[in-house]
Amino acid sequence: MIPPGPPATPAAFCLSLVILSLAGLALALAARRARLWCVGRGVRVEWVRGLLALPKRYLVDVHHVVGRDPFAARMHALAAGGLLGGSGLALLALIPTLGGARLYWAVIALAFAGALAGGVMVGRRRYPTKPARLSGGRFQILPFLLTAYAAGAMLVAFDAALGGALPALAWPALALAVIGGLGLALQVDRGPMRHAFAGATHLVIHPRPGRFEGERATDLVPLDLDAPRLGVATPSDFAVNRLVGFDACIQCGRCEIACPAFAAGQPLNPKRLIQDLAAAIQPNAANAAYKGSPYPNARAVAGIGGPDLPLIGAGAMIHPDTLWSCTTCRACVEECPMMIEHVDAIIDLRRYQTLELGALPAKASPPLMELRYADEPGGRALAARTDFAAGLTLPLISATGRAEVLLWLGEGAYELRYGRTLRALVTLLHTAGVDFAVLGPEERDCGDLARRLGDEATFQRLAAENIATLARYSFTRILTADPHALHALRNEYRAFGGAYEVIHHTALLDELVAGGRLTVGALHEARVTYHDPCYLGRYNGEIDAPRRLLDRLGLARLEMERAGKRSMCCGGGGGAPVSDIEGERRIPDIRMAQAAATGAGIVAVACPQCSAMLDGVTGERPEVNDIAELVLMAVEAGRAKAARKDVARKDASRPPEPVA
Amino acid sequence: MRIAILLSAGRHAVSGRPAPVSVELQAIRLARELIRQMAGEVDGNAAGDITGFHAGPDAGPLKDALGHGLPRLIQLSIGAQDDPLPSLAAALGAERFDLVLAGRSGQGGEDAGLLPYALARTLGLPIVADACALAAGPQHGTVSLEQALPRGARRRLTLRLPALVTVHPAAPAPLPFAFAAMRRGMLETREGVPAPRAAGEVEERAYRARPKLIAKSAAGASATERLKAATEAASSGGRLIVDPAPEDAARAILAHLRQIGVLRD
Repeated sequence: MIPPGPPATPAAFCLSLVILSLAGLALALAARRARLWCVGRGVRVEWVRGLLALPKRYLVDVHHVVGRDPFAARMHALAAGGLLGGSGLALLALIPTLGGARLYWAVIALAFAGALAGGVMVGRRRYPTKPARLSGGRFQILPFLLTAYAAGAMLVAFDAALGGALPALAWPALALAVIGGLGLALQVDRGPMRHAFAGATHLVIHPRPGRFEGERATDLVPLDLDAPRLGVATPSDFAVNRLVGFDACIQCGRCEIACPAFAAGQPLNPKRLIQDLAAAIQPNAANAAYKGSPYPNARAVAGIGGPDLPLIGAGAMIHPDTLWSCTTCRACVEECPMMIEHVDAIIDLRRYQTLELGALPAKASPPLMELRYADEPGGRALAARTDFAAGLTLPLISATGRAEVLLWLGEGAYELRYGRTLRALVTLLHTAGVDFAVLGPEERDCGDLARRLGDEATFQRLAAENIATLARYSFTRILTADPHALHALRNEYRAFGGAYEVIHHTALLDELVAGGRLTVGALHEARVTYHDPCYLGRYNGEIDAPRRLLDRLGLARLEMERAGKRSMCCGGGGGAPVSDIEGERRIPDIRMAQAAATGAGIVAVACPQCSAMLDGVTGERPEVNDIAELVLMAVEAGRAKAARKDVARKDASRPPEPVA
Repeated sequence: MRIAILLSAGRHAVSGRPAPVSVELQAIRLARELIRQMAGEVDGNAAGDITGFHAGPDAGPLKDALGHGLPRLIQLSIGAQDDPLPSLAAALGAERFDLVLAGRSGQGGEDAGLLPYALARTLGLPIVADACALAAGPQHGTVSLEQALPRGARRRLTLRLPALVTVHPAAPAPLPFAFAAMRRGMLETREGVPAPRAAGEVEERAYRARPKLIAKSAAGASATERLKAATEAASSGGRLIVDPAPEDAARAILAHLRQIGVLRD
C-alpha cells in the first residue's frame, strides 16, 4: 500500500524500506547474540538508573577516554553519529509528511555526508598501513562498508532533496547503500558492529556504576566463600553484565599498548584475552576469528570453548601463563574506551584456579602457604617487622592503647632497602612531633598478595583478623607508605566491616611541610622524575600530593611520557614477582628506561614494590629514592643551612679579633 | 592401589601455629602421582584411593591437608598424652593398604622419626626410608622408588607391596593448597585406642633448625680440609659390596655393627 501523500522520490522511499529491513536484520542478529549472554549468572542490575544515565555515560565518560586520541574521537563522532542519525531520520521519512519534504531529505543527506567523512577517516586510519594495535580481518573491510552505505544513502537523499532530479544516480546509489548496509548489519553479532549494541548495553548495566559518578571504584568484589563454585571456570560462571562487557570490545588495542606484560613480551594481551572470553560464550567456540596482535610468545592452546567448557588450560581457550602475567596495574581498564573491567575478569579466573584447582604457578604457592600459617608471605616472625627501626624510637600502640596516627608498616619493613625509607619516615614523624605508634607484632599482612593471586580465603581471614586488631585501639587515621596496604585498608576492608581514614605518607608529609611542621631546605639542582605507583595513582587517584611535595623540596621535576593515572607499572603488583612468568624483557627495565629518558638523576618512588623493582635494575641508571628519603634530605639540608646562618650571625656579632 | 598417609600435628617453625608438615604433604603428592600414573589418563580416584590417618585429640588444623590433594582424612581420637601407635596399628591393620606413606620425621627438627619403624614392626611390613620419587614397579604389586641418600645421591629400589615408605624432603614440593578441595574433602572421626604413655615429664621447647654437622675429622683443620669434608662424599669406613650372596652380605653387616659397637658379643 502506498501511503497517502507522495514520497519525495521512489528511490528515497525504497531507501527507507531498506533501512527498515536492515534494522530488523540487525535487531534479530543482536537478539541472537544477547540470548548467548543469558548463559551468564544472573545479577541485580539497576536498569532504570542505567538507562537514564546512558547519555551522560556515553557522551561524557566514554568521550573522556576516546578523546585522548582526538582523531579517533572525531572519526567516531562522525561515523557513528552520521550513521545512526542518518539512518534514524531516513526511517522516520516513512511518515508521509516528513518523507514528502525535500528539506527533510537534505538534512538526511547532510547526516550521511558526516557518516561518509567518518567512514573515510576509518579508512585513512587503516590504509595504507594498519597500526599494529588495530585488528585486521573483518575490521579491514569496515571502512568500505561504511563508505558504501553512507555514500549510497547520501546520494539517494541528495536526489530526493532535489525532488528526483538525478534518477540515473539515485538507483545505482541505492544499490550501493544496500550492499554496504547489508555488510554492516551482518557484522552485528560477530563483527565490529557488535560493540555498538553490546557497548550501549554494557554502559547501562556496567558492573561498577560508581565509575561514572566520580568514584575510583577499584576495590575487588568480595567472594562468597560458601558458594558452590568459587571463581570463574567457564563463561557461564561470569555474571551477565561481565559477558556483555567482553562483547563491548571494539579491539582498538589501547589496552595492549598500555599493558606492561605485553610490553615485556609476556604472554598477555588484554585485547586478545577479552576477545577469547567473548568468543567462548557460543557453543563450539574457537579462537580462530581473532585477527589482532597475538599474545607475545603465546603458549600453545587448543583454542576451543563453549558456555560450559573451561576457559583456562592448554586444552581450552587461554593458557594459564596468560592469566598469571597480569600485574593488576589496571592500565588496560584506565585506557579502555568501552570501560571494560579486564582486571576483575582476571581475578575471577584466578580465584577459580587458586581456590578450586590449586593450579598456581609453582613459585606463587609457598608465599601463600606462609601467609596461612605465619600471616606473612616470607614466613618471617611478625615481631621482626620492626627490626628495621633498630636504634630509633618506635612507639607501640599496645603500650598506650591510642595514638593520633597509626603507622602501618607493611611488607616492605622486612626489606633492607625499604627499611631505609621507613627509617626516614619515622625520623620525619619524630621531627614533626606527630603522635604516632605502630602495631608491632600485632600487624599481620594486609592480604593484598593473597587476594591478587586469587586466594580470597586467606585475604578474608587476614582482613577479619586485622580488623579485629584495629578495633582494639583508638586512632584517628592510619598512615602507610605502602599503596597496596593503603588500598586494602581504605577500600577493600570496608566490605568486611573496617572503615578507616587511611593516608599515604606522601600526602601526610605534604601536609606537614605545608603546615610548617617540617622545615625543608632546597635540594638544589637535583632533577627528579616521579614514578606513580599504580595502587596510589590509578587505584586511588592520588597523583597531586606527591608532586606538590616534590616541588616544595626545590627539585626540578620532570614528567615521564606515561605519568599520573596513565603511568606504567613497575612490574611488582598482582603477585607478578612471585608468579614470575617468563618474557623477553623485564618490566622494571622498560620503566627505568622511560625514567632515564627524561634526563632525571633521581627516580622518586612511593611504594615498596616500585622501590624493589626499580632498584633491581642493573647498569647505568638514575638513583631510586623514596619521597620520604628526599624529604629527610631536604629537612637535613634546611637544618644545615640554618646552622650555617647561626654561625654566621654569631661571627658577625663578635668583635673583630685583633690582627697580629 | 590403596595408599594410607600418616599425618602428624605439626606447627609452623616461626609462628608456632598449627600447620601441616611439609614432608607429609609431599607424601600426598607422591601418592597422587603414583595413582595417576598407574591409572593412565583415568581420573585419579578411579584406580585407587588415598586415605590420611591422624591419631590425636584434634584434627582441625590437619584439615588443610585435604586442600593439598588428600581426598579423605580419618582422625583416630585419642588423648593428647596417648601413644598414637596402637590406634594407627589397629586402623591400618583393619584395612588392607598396599602402601603406607609417612614423613621421615614430623617436624624435621630433633624429632626421632621412630613411629614409622615401630608401626612397620607392629604391622609386620617392610619399611624403606627416605623416598623422593615413586613409580609403578616392573611387576604387578611392586613399586619402584628412588631413595634419597646424603649429598644428593639417589638409589633406585624395587619394593614388593604391601610396605611402609617414609618420604624425604627432596621429594617434589607439595601440591598447592586449594581451599575448595579442603571444603570438599572428607574428615571422619573414629575412636582411637587409648594408650597412656608411661608418665614422664616431657619438656617442650621452641623449634630450632638442626645445626649442620661438620665432619669431625675436619673440625679444627684448615679451611681447605673443612671445605673438602663438607663437599666430598665422606668415607665412613664402610665397604661397597655389589650384588653379594645373602650370607656374605649378612656377615658384612654383622661385622660392621660389631665394629661400630652396636652389637656386642
